[in-house]
Amino acid sequence: MNNAISRRDILSRAGGGFGGMVLASMLGNLVDTKTSSAAGAGYNVIPKRPDHAPRANAVIQLFMHGGPSHVDLLDPKPLLNKYDGKTPPGGVNDDEARTTYLLGSPFKFKKHGESGVEFSELLPNIANHADEIAVIRSMFTEHRNHEQAIWMANTGLIRSGRPNIGAWAAYGLGTENQNLPAYIALPDPNGLPVDGIRNWSNGWLPPVYQGTAFRSEGLAVPNLTPESPRSVEVELARNNLLAKLNDRHKVQHPGELELDARIASFELAARMQLTATNSLDLAQETAATHRLYGLDNDKTRPYGRRCLMARRLIERGVRFVQVFMRGQPWDTHTENVKGTRDCCAQTDLPVAGLLTDLRQRGLLDSTLVQWGGEFGRTPGAEQRSNKQKGHEGRDHHPYGFSIWLAGGGIQGGQTRGATDEFGYRSVIDRTQTADLHATILHLLGLDHETLTYAHSGRDERLTDVYEAKVLESLLV
Amino acid sequence: MFSMRYALTCLFLLIGSTLSIGAEKKDEPAKLTFEQDVLPILKAKCHKCHSGAKAKAGLDLTTRRGVLRGGQSGAAVRRAAAESSLLWDRIAAGEMPPKGDSLTDKEKGLVRSWINDGALSESGEADSAGSEIAVYEIDDQARKFWSFQPPQKAALPEVNDVARVRTPIDTFVLKQLEENGLTLSPEASRATLIRRTHFDLLGLPPTPEDVQAFVSDKRVDSYDRLIDRLLAHPAYGERWGRHWLDVAGYTDSAGILFEDRALPLAYRYRDYVIRAFNKNKPYDRFLQEQIAGDELVDYWHHFDNDDSLSNEIVEAITATGYLRCAADPSRPDFSKIKNADSQYFYPTINDTMQIVSTSTMGVTLQCARCHDHMFDPIPQEDFYRIQSIFMGAYRPTNWIPQMERRLTSLSKSQEVVAKQRNKEIDAKIKELNGQISKLRQDFKARRFEVELAKLPEELRDGVREAIVTAADKRDETQRQYAVKYEALLQPDDKKLDELLPSEFPEYVESLGKLNEQIITERARWYAYDEIRAIYDLPGEVPTPFLRRGDALTPAHHVSPGALTVLNATVEFQWPRPAAEAKTSGRRLAFARWLTDPGHPLAARVMVNRIWLHHFGRGIVATPDDFGNAGSPPSHPKLLDWLAVEFVESGWSIKHVHRLIMTSSTYRQRADLKSETPISERKQTDPHSIDPDNRLLWRQRLRRLEAEALRDAVLHVAGSLNTQFFGPPVPTHRWATGEITVAKEADPYRRSVYIQNRRLYPLTMLRTFDQPTMETNCTLRSQSTVSTQALTLLNSGAMIKAADSFAGRVLAERDDNVAARAVWLAFGRPPGQDEVSFLQEFVEAQQQRYSKTLEEGSSLVERRRLAVADMCHMLLSANEFIYID
Repeated sequence: MNNAISRRDILSRAGGGFGGMVLASMLGNLVDTKTSSAAGAGYNVIPKRPDHAPRANAVIQLFMHGGPSHVDLLDPKPLLNKYDGKTPPGGVNDDEARTTYLLGSPFKFKKHGESGVEFSELLPNIANHADEIAVIRSMFTEHRNHEQAIWMANTGLIRSGRPNIGAWAAYGLGTENQNLPAYIALPDPNGLPVDGIRNWSNGWLPPVYQGTAFRSEGLAVPNLTPESPRSVEVELARNNLLAKLNDRHKVQHPGELELDARIASFELAARMQLTATNSLDLAQETAATHRLYGLDNDKTRPYGRRCLMARRLIERGVRFVQVFMRGQPWDTHTENVKGTRDCCAQTDLPVAGLLTDLRQRGLLDSTLVQWGGEFGRTPGAEQRSNKQKGHEGRDHHPYGFSIWLAGGGIQGGQTRGATDEFGYRSVIDRTQTADLHATILHLLGLDHETLTYAHSGRDERLTDVYEAKVLESLLV
Repeated sequence: MFSMRYALTCLFLLIGSTLSIGAEKKDEPAKLTFEQDVLPILKAKCHKCHSGAKAKAGLDLTTRRGVLRGGQSGAAVRRAAAESSLLWDRIAAGEMPPKGDSLTDKEKGLVRSWINDGALSESGEADSAGSEIAVYEIDDQARKFWSFQPPQKAALPEVNDVARVRTPIDTFVLKQLEENGLTLSPEASRATLIRRTHFDLLGLPPTPEDVQAFVSDKRVDSYDRLIDRLLAHPAYGERWGRHWLDVAGYTDSAGILFEDRALPLAYRYRDYVIRAFNKNKPYDRFLQEQIAGDELVDYWHHFDNDDSLSNEIVEAITATGYLRCAADPSRPDFSKIKNADSQYFYPTINDTMQIVSTSTMGVTLQCARCHDHMFDPIPQEDFYRIQSIFMGAYRPTNWIPQMERRLTSLSKSQEVVAKQRNKEIDAKIKELNGQISKLRQDFKARRFEVELAKLPEELRDGVREAIVTAADKRDETQRQYAVKYEALLQPDDKKLDELLPSEFPEYVESLGKLNEQIITERARWYAYDEIRAIYDLPGEVPTPFLRRGDALTPAHHVSPGALTVLNATVEFQWPRPAAEAKTSGRRLAFARWLTDPGHPLAARVMVNRIWLHHFGRGIVATPDDFGNAGSPPSHPKLLDWLAVEFVESGWSIKHVHRLIMTSSTYRQRADLKSETPISERKQTDPHSIDPDNRLLWRQRLRRLEAEALRDAVLHVAGSLNTQFFGPPVPTHRWATGEITVAKEADPYRRSVYIQNRRLYPLTMLRTFDQPTMETNCTLRSQSTVSTQALTLLNSGAMIKAADSFAGRVLAERDDNVAARAVWLAFGRPPGQDEVSFLQEFVEAQQQRYSKTLEEGSSLVERRRLAVADMCHMLLSANEFIYID
């Protein structure tokens, strides 16, 4: 596979015209982003050559804030059910002493597809994609608080302020559509996920790699259009005047590329108005597609809209899309059964719809879909308010949990690793976050060890000092 | 496949049965100790290999100290964190012991619990693994690195183009240019110079009148007068204070967690910084106050003995807000979190150290937290010695929650009076509130009876019975009654507060009286300022060396110190305080060390920072890293000359501004001289010789920073509110995700006063690269992205500013709006061509509006819209956004 990106490619991707010319000229003067430490200069999202042939061109991350209960969804534990309501054999206290007795899962698991990967009855639609999905049952993380664990999951360390993996992808690869941001976050229009805008922060990477939050209702981004719309001719005349002023200024500053880039940024903004609006216009999709994502149903519509938007954005060349829920709905400290059931009712069908749609459009092979939260939930019952049988909660659980990957170079129909018989601790093929990150970057054609950025006297990388390994067994 | 699964299951059962989800703790059981509970197990199962001088993998498990110290793979145990302790990891995974009997379930449980109990010893041995740290020798080669040598004033070099030499700076710059066959560019125009200097010193553009006055000022010292005038302008402190706030990491919120709690008191430090710059506070004093203001002015002595605190003392403790800028989300309930010290408290100290070292010393001290510095001669031990400086105040094991860590502007005697009086008032108000709730209860009961009486008689007893019965005790009928009548008879408090006043006038009357009493009491309140300061706590200050930077693997204790590599030049001296001293004096000792006139780094770093903001790039391009991994200085002799001059001037920042700004180097043109294509350029073309302009053969074209851009827009629009100081202007996050100034607040204050919440920065400012303060920002990024264009063209704030600008222009020069608008926006006379195309635009745009606006729109309205469009484009133009 030839990954060289020609000048002509860029011109065509940038939509040609003047902006394209400027981009091409900027490209000619590109500093190597991987070695330059001079802040600010020369960073852009023009497509960059990957380190090796990529398996995936894009990532859709379905982040499940709060920490989904692995033993109720992806990691069946017969022994846990057997010991339901009892203290575990052994008699050692939980190190946090927050749970009382073991809590079996009331949900039935079944083998699906030819591969026979097991899914809970709460995920009937996702389960239909069993042969496309690789479940990792042996994840563990390093913190039991939401924020720290979220930072771990998305930035590689349990401390704040680092770039999210989406920003790394944009930094390493740029984007194929200069009329849209390289990295887009899709939060619930009714509220941000826990940790807010930091979920798509560029950290100390240049701001151009920051995730842009698109709304799934109304204007995609703030200020895409003015509050009271202008007529086309009024708008055009304004733009022409600005161009005239800038041309006059530029004549006095020949060769200042920065000025050309800013002029181009205005032209790109104008195109972005069209492209962004267009990318959100779900009316362009057929009724069948709407049904596929559950847009015909109140329960699934909100999440379904964001899944469908994710596909439309990927289709238009966006590199990394994150889909979020409001707050942290999977954080089932009380009423685990009810809470988990509700989250699944909102998301199972749309997520399955996304997988189906991607496959039908031939996009699944080149799009990596990642599903998971910041940690799992305790196999034991949490001793908060409601202790009535069937109403217990589960607490945060960092020692062992599950996530899944599909598409984009992933060999579906398999599980990796295992927790112990109670779902407590990851014991077989323990998978650290850095391994997952290295794998995602690898699929995108990037090497986690060479994708570095000089910051505060250090060559920083997503996987920091971890000895991370690509999870080869998951790859096609 | 099947047999494999079977095998796994057997293994799981084994591990599973040691599981740790256990019975609820009823009584606090005695904690496990190494000697009693763990040593016998290790002896039986592990000592065969892990003991003695030739212990396998260097891991000796015969003593607790040996366990804590660990072996080749690192510490075997992290205190109170079994799940991330290697010892537990290997045992739990069944990897250890590799041969012979495994640990029984019970034994495994004991090891795990012992770690989680804190890895204690029976004898109460200190929480330290002892010192096994190799002695770090700083070799002479490392010590000789340029930035660790004290700066020297070199003799001014001889140059050819003496006519261009205005200040010593020019000789250094010219020398290097001439060595490369180059020279300075011609001086910029007067209009360019006044615009450049205004933005550099005030962050605001000159008015047309300023420009005209300067251009026509023929006095020989007119330029020097301009600089003097600007340096004396109070907006200078806002502009340069903002630069300092970047490196201090100042924000108005606590950060870290999603809550991102607003800090209502932080602004006092911001105001202190602005005042300090305006007063030209000597930089050494400025640093001493920020690091150790309390110790410098002997705060506790004055607190104990004075009737009231002088302004000087209040100012000095306010300055220590610098050490409170690091994110600190701590709340009182954090003490209950397990390992809160390593999770929340140490990060605040570490960030504070990073802020101090990058802002004042240009060393990446944070790199030495987990191991010796990779590039610079900074042993890991230095990190903890410097950490010890701050441990007098910031104690991970005795943490004061951030909102409680504050001093007041009162002396002790005043505090006694204030506390006594306010306590009485509190008690009185509490009592009055009690009366209010009793009053409400009484009327609630009365109301219940009134409403119950309205029901059919046969229902009343049953309903009453149902309502008074607890919800989970009701029988089926009672549940039915409750569903039907509870909301009516027993509304919730919110509803009740709506209903009672309308139904019972006597309730309103009694309530009014009580509320009035509360207001009277409140008015008697002894009001005083609270100050977000730093101060030491009494008692010993242990500072453990943390192996691999991990608070759960502490080693030996260290004494306070500073950078060892500088010992030969400036030695850190700390007289141990008397036992009863209220403050340890560590921070003052450090501040004095740092501001020693011979300190190799402090002055260099600051003059480099000043240079950076006058040229867009420092003499050292990495202002936070003067070490081996940083950029070497482009003009080393100049940097040193400036650093020494800075100290000799009494650390006068304004003196350095003057030196720089009056130089020919600063006053050069920024626009490129050559239009020759690269391929045809001659050898002598500066573009070929020095394409990056490292040697400064011209000034640099610079984009306005976020704050300067927003402030300039408001200034030109005539709407800037120049009010100084005070609590931050609140912001609001809209459903669209946009963050603007809150509706009820003044949208026209300067940007430095706008609330800067870490998670909710003002969209306009963030879009133009206002930094996200995770720790601090030593160098701003600069992006050119289309969201900036969208913000300029479509944001409400810009549309409003364009309209004000139009109103102003129409009022000032209705006869020639184009010329006036160009003067205001660009600070120069308009060109003929410009005036004509702008006028044409306004006229044509008026026509366009007459087509789109509804019937009956007046000519005045259409003209205003058209002029506003012109103004809007001027404010979005490159000539406005960039300074030459």
